[in-house]
Amino acid sequence: MSIAAVKPVQGTRVLSYAGALLETMDAALADHANTFIMGQGVDDFKGIFGSTTGLAEKYGAQRVFDVPLMEEGMTGVAIGASLVGDYPITTHIRADFSFLAMNQIINLAAKYRYMFGGLMRCPMLIRIVVGRSWGQGAQHSQSPQATFAHYPGLTVVMPSSSQAILDMYPAIINRHPGPVISIEHRLLYNLDFTVSPSEHRVPLTSYVARKGSDVTVVATSVMVLEALRAAQYVEDKAGISAEIIDLNSISHPDWDLVAASVAKTGRLVVADTSWLEYGVAAEVCRQLVVRDPGLLRQPPTMLGMAPAPCPTAKSLEDIYYPSQHETVDAILTQVKGDKHGIALPVERSMTEGYKRFRGPF
Amino acid sequence: MSFAREPLPKATAIQLFKSLYLARRSEEYIVKHYPENLMRTPMHMSMGQEFVCVGVCSALEGKADVFASYRSHAAFLAQTHDTDRFFSELYGRTSGTGEGKGGSMHLAAPDQGHILSSGVVATQIPVAVGAAFANRQLKTGRTAVVFFGDGAADAGVFWESINAAALFKLPVIFVCEDNGYAVDTPREARQMSKSLSDVVKPFGADTYEDDSGDVESVYSLAKEAVAKAHRDRRPAFLNIKCCRYLEHVGIGTDWNWGYRDQATVEREWIDRDALKVQRKRLAEHQVSEAAIAAIEDEIDKAIQASVKRASQAPIPTPDRLHAGVFYEKA
Ligand SMILES: Cc1ncc(C[n+]2csc(CCOP(=O)(O)OP(=O)(O)O)c2C)c(N)n1
Ligand SMILES: [Mg+2]
Repeated sequence: MSIAAVKPVQGTRVLSYAGALLETMDAALADHANTFIMGQGVDDFKGIFGSTTGLAEKYGAQRVFDVPLMEEGMTGVAIGASLVGDYPITTHIRADFSFLAMNQIINLAAKYRYMFGGLMRCPMLIRIVVGRSWGQGAQHSQSPQATFAHYPGLTVVMPSSSQAILDMYPAIINRHPGPVISIEHRLLYNLDFTVSPSEHRVPLTSYVARKGSDVTVVATSVMVLEALRAAQYVEDKAGISAEIIDLNSISHPDWDLVAASVAKTGRLVVADTSWLEYGVAAEVCRQLVVRDPGLLRQPPTMLGMAPAPCPTAKSLEDIYYPSQHETVDAILTQVKGDKHGIALPVERSMTEGYKRFRGPF
Repeated sequence: MSFAREPLPKATAIQLFKSLYLARRSEEYIVKHYPENLMRTPMHMSMGQEFVCVGVCSALEGKADVFASYRSHAAFLAQTHDTDRFFSELYGRTSGTGEGKGGSMHLAAPDQGHILSSGVVATQIPVAVGAAFANRQLKTGRTAVVFFGDGAADAGVFWESINAAALFKLPVIFVCEDNGYAVDTPREARQMSKSLSDVVKPFGADTYEDDSGDVESVYSLAKEAVAKAHRDRRPAFLNIKCCRYLEHVGIGTDWNWGYRDQATVEREWIDRDALKVQRKRLAEHQVSEAAIAAIEDEIDKAIQASVKRASQAPIPTPDRLHAGVFYEKA
């Protein structure tokens, strides 16, 4: 399946998410002599699902290298290198494994600038990949954007397309002065996107991914694609105009953009890749309510993972995650009420829509 | 180094063969049927390394609390022989070890002494130290055994656990399934020490090396290590060299990855495959070919029956999604 870019224009080309990652990693190494990439498997032939393949050969083992199982240690090494002038990029093939590095990320990287009165700079990029579907299970599927964004000092982004990577990574790598966590999504890696060398780059904050007037959908990561597909469906079937906002930066969203959209539509769906409790959806509501409790005409609809660890059985996994079916239903319900009577897509499992992903990893 | 000082009794040899055969044939079934896409769970196959878990678990004669990694199949089957719950879990059925919620990486049967297997590398290691602590305090007579890979020994928590077990004088049996690789990174590219045992020893553990590839050797070694650990109130570290026949995760081979050579692996390992060797031993024990075939047939039928039961077992219903998150009555 092929997904249209954020702002398709002339002069476009097709590029997979993994391809975009590889291009930006390559460019980072080429453009910045102080940049290096370290992580388990970055130099092997699978190269973090194709996002670092061939770079060790091209730039040498001093700049692209494998490490032992040492998540916390590796992150400390990266912090130290960063403090004295290097730009480290670290990888975790599952977000869940970055939890071993929480101490270094939260107690050190997030705080060094502030705690040392501005003496320290800790620029680095931590790339973590969220797993989903085909029995990834409880320890290979977590999506910790809210966790990381909770801690002041961390910049957290969730690129939802090849364009977002092409636009954001060069602005982050060696340019952003602090630690950045980019939460990539495994299901996006193999998807082809149309990308363009646009002047309107995807910013390091939120942006409108699709203009609309009836309902605002605030989405993250792969849920942006789900929302875009759903928006097309409701337009075709019910003439509904949904505005999709890709929150994109979890730590630095454009709340004015979100509030302005909701002021226009009065209706809200939040579609996130993680749990709703104390999460992105909760924060969106907080931001709206503190601005103006009257912004919403009716209670919003929230889509996210069920409040449980992720089960592996397909029958449970399929209902654990919001599907295309539910995303469409949420939009229709917001605009037409729960008795909207419009037929829903039967697609309940994301692997049906993203057929190119079939396990194991 | 090989620890089979004298041939084991015939009954033990047969039992080890059965256990090996069960693990191997269960995984051969998986290899054959995985492409049907009904076992939707990432699998890290034990094939080739089964003799490690089979040797150790058999030596403990059921009185073990086993902790394993995501490379879980052999440890689970060696400890429990429970193909019913095993296949049910892989097929995502309510009759599985985790009622279909855990999958291949997370098998558990605490009632049978297989406490758990864990998907995050090395996480099971300190947990086993805790079990040893409680087993002593509660006088259960059970021995905590933890299986992990050579990659897990990169991790800080492995060294913390070895240190803690020695410090607390706990007879934890640390078993390193040393297949030489973490995914495709060889141990030499991750660890500077020539031998893990040399580094572990000064922490205060007894260390044992075995590169025999032989289930009887591992069995004898484990017997000795467990007895000494209890007698001297010290942990034991067993470094068992082994070989993973298949790719890191999944059911294929990985000869085309370019990190190891098929011919070398065949010469050094597959040619002296532990199951094949053990089968020959049965012949030396005067077990007739017909009798061996009967043993094999019985196990094959048991696997088939388990698979059939699993595929007919109920699929988890939606209400199970929210059940058991907290400690409410599930
Ligand atoms: C903390 C953590 N980091 C990374 C991974 C990804 N991963 C899974 S298995 C593995 C290799 C472990 O090698 P080893 O301990 O030798 O076990 P083997 O797979 O060889 O049995 C890695 C890196 C993980 N599961 N957990
Ligand atoms: Mg290994």
